[in-house]
Amino acid sequence: MIKVKFDYKDQVMTGFKLSGHADAGDYGHDIVCAAVSALAITTVNGLSQVANINPLVDQDSKNGGYLAITLQDNDLTNVIAQALLKSFKNGISDVASQYNDYVQIK
Amino acid sequence: MLKMDLQFFSHHKTGGSSSNGRDSAGRRLGTKAADGSSVTAGSIIYRQRGTHIYPGKNVKRGSDDTLFALVDGVVRFERLGRDKRQVSVYTEAETANK
Repeated sequence: MIKVKFDYKDQVMTGFKLSGHADAGDYGHDIVCAAVSALAITTVNGLSQVANINPLVDQDSKNGGYLAITLQDNDLTNVIAQALLKSFKNGISDVASQYNDYVQIK
Repeated sequence: MLKMDLQFFSHHKTGGSSSNGRDSAGRRLGTKAADGSSVTAGSIIYRQRGTHIYPGKNVKRGSDDTLFALVDGVVRFERLGRDKRQVSVYTEAETANK
């Protein structure tokens, strides 16, 4: 089960945390994992390449299954970054609503 | 930049499957940059819940209490008062003056 947590500061999204494994199929065939991975990694890369900011990225690159993003205080007013984060929340909420056995938003 | 690994949130076991094997991921808290190591601005130094360690010189605390460097420099864990600890980052110039 992948657990998703969004962080806010004065109603502004400051980051998110993803932890756990989907377990919706064997390695290489886990479509839920693929969807969550694609959404999350695209958002993280978008923050640095599209919004041109430097979020704090913490991940477990050895085992996977953990990714935490925190925006720095001076980036909280970046409109593009907020758009990317809201779009990510939108997408992950859709996935969670269809595959709630494997993805849960806290 | 992260590598687009579509199985990042899948178990990395190959072949076979079992009904067990679920576990929630650990929080990976603790030190991310050791004392004496050099860091670049923005890099995470210490992950924590609450302030086990306080932000010192050239270090700031994020919204989830993460401590990160504001400048490029060398990490120093120091005592703060009688029973507290802080972490600072000293630039080369500051290290030379000390």
